[in-house]
Amino acid sequence: MSDTSQDRAPEGDDSQTRPSAMGGPLRFLLSNEFGLIVLVLLFGILFSTLSPAFLSKFSLYALGRTSAVNIMIGFSMMVVIITGGLNLSVGAIGVGAAMFGGWLMQAFGMPWVPGVIGGLAMGAALGALNGVIIVRSGLHSFIITLATMSIFFGVMIYLTRAESYREISPAFTSYGRMKILGVISPLLLVTFAVAIMLSVLFRFTALGREMLVAGANARAAEISGIRVNRMITYCHMLSGILAGVAGLMLVSRTGAAIPSMAGQLGQDWLLPAFLGPVLGGTLLTGGRLSVLGTLLGSFLVTMLTTGLLLMQVGAFWIQTYLGLLLLAAVLIDLARRSYLERRKLL
Amino acid sequence: MNQKFWQSEWFGPLLITVTAIVIVSSLNPSFLSPFNIQILLLAISVNAMIAFSQMIIIAIGQMNLSVGAIGGMAAISFGGMMEVWGIPWPIAAVLSLSIGLLAGIANGALCAYTGISAFVITLASLSIFKGINLGITEAQPFYDIPDTVKSLGNDTFLHPLPWLVLPAVAAAVLLWYLLFRLPLGRAILAVGGNEHAAALSGISVPRIVIVAHAISGLLAALAGIMLVGRLQIGQPTIGDDWLILSFAAPVIGGAILTGGHVSVAGTFLGVAIVAIITQVLVLFSIDPFLVQVVLGGLILWAVGINRYREVRAHRKIAAGAI
Repeated sequence: MSDTSQDRAPEGDDSQTRPSAMGGPLRFLLSNEFGLIVLVLLFGILFSTLSPAFLSKFSLYALGRTSAVNIMIGFSMMVVIITGGLNLSVGAIGVGAAMFGGWLMQAFGMPWVPGVIGGLAMGAALGALNGVIIVRSGLHSFIITLATMSIFFGVMIYLTRAESYREISPAFTSYGRMKILGVISPLLLVTFAVAIMLSVLFRFTALGREMLVAGANARAAEISGIRVNRMITYCHMLSGILAGVAGLMLVSRTGAAIPSMAGQLGQDWLLPAFLGPVLGGTLLTGGRLSVLGTLLGSFLVTMLTTGLLLMQVGAFWIQTYLGLLLLAAVLIDLARRSYLERRKLL
Repeated sequence: MNQKFWQSEWFGPLLITVTAIVIVSSLNPSFLSPFNIQILLLAISVNAMIAFSQMIIIAIGQMNLSVGAIGGMAAISFGGMMEVWGIPWPIAAVLSLSIGLLAGIANGALCAYTGISAFVITLASLSIFKGINLGITEAQPFYDIPDTVKSLGNDTFLHPLPWLVLPAVAAAVLLWYLLFRLPLGRAILAVGGNEHAAALSGISVPRIVIVAHAISGLLAALAGIMLVGRLQIGQPTIGDDWLILSFAAPVIGGAILTGGHVSVAGTFLGVAIVAIITQVLVLFSIDPFLVQVVLGGLILWAVGINRYREVRAHRKIAAGAI
């Protein structure tokens, strides 16, 4: 699998940016994004007919608010996946950044703006640390971020004594509860803003293109004058910032910075972090991403979880369904890819 | 075979283990009390199983995120079969082990025949197995464990050697024999070393991948069953915290994550080092939260050393060629 994707990776991104360039509508109909839109609509209709409460104002509001966080977690993983690596420490960084922001607000009574900036700076620092260690050691990001996940989370728990920060600036927590037009959470708007920024970064800026090229083919990028190591470090730093955004969103929503909000070692974020990008068609071998796909993928996952919980279809089985979904997604993607390949040959 | 024994990958961990035991026992004599040794050996026995379960997958150059989920699923099946169905414990144990084996085969078959990376497959199966665990137990433990199982999980057969040491030692010896004396084991290491070359030399790579995952599932299930005996309840949370440890011990023992190179003795010593450090933190009442930090630090340190050794070996080969 890795061979074919390596070959196609440099121009693979074009199917997203210029859908009309080749094959036109058929190509779009076969894209991940279209499939996800169909699935979102199908499940939306299914859930709303089975349970009318699904389309209630409160339910839609809660769905938007939860998916805002999950999409952000997906983005945080996505920007590392494009380097061909992964970041197991997204949860640990997210909680670490949120706890640091919470501490700034509680211990120094900071207003929320510097508190949030402090939290994001912490996320960026932890992410950059990951990046530097990976680049310097030349080891795979899997083992490095596995180790730092343990270290970041352990240090955070040690410093906070596993206690929450509850005196969060009220102005900040009000955003997490605010309803625009009765159904839209400001958190969702933040997520959309970040999505647009990421699209611009990876589509129109030299920096973003260089990050993608470094991920697609490190040797070729190096030869053409891109500082690959620096790009990988930047990607990890960006991942840390996005994880921090997700963590701070949770703080704003719950009104407290809680050490256990991403589970033991932040492991609870791992599945949503991979589901979004993988469903959205981001190549695990690097070099290709789809911001819209990740957004739709994470949204679909959140919608399925919410819908199943609402219909009370065995809340305890949710994890099994999500695992099966991930498995189905990668298998369908495999079939789709080989179909496209065969058509090209024919 | 002309490698000197102090150059082998298990010599470093052995040195650390012995030094740690000497230093700690001189600072705190209760460290070498029979009771403490028993506690230490209980922890080492179960953790060795967890580490071996990951080691066999590292040997083929993959990773298995679902070891903990398989272990947890086997543990609650073991507890559940005995409590709900009243099945005698040896049969329940065999059935739970076969669940682990099947889970491993499923992982292996998916990895081998789809070509999707083991990371994604085992992330998905981690979630599926953990979900089955929670779906069956609804997060409630099984309390009704037979006394025989409880005593096997905690008592000693020869003071201070607990019963649980026996399966751990047996697994270690069998794994060593498999990997370094049997053609199947050599094939496993060959696939890890260079999958393409192994395939060209007539090894069926999919078969080897499935076998390795099957062994991994079996060992993870065994670890889960042993923990039910040790904890005396069928906890649904069994396996949740295995991931870091399962990588730390083989890596400390000199395993190369790209595959083809693992050490059974090294992994065992890696487990011992982790157990001793955890004990020391308790004995000297240092914050138990720091265990996570130490484990993470150990992984970084160990992969750093392994990497350095690898680079140096390459340089030596290059120098020899000139």
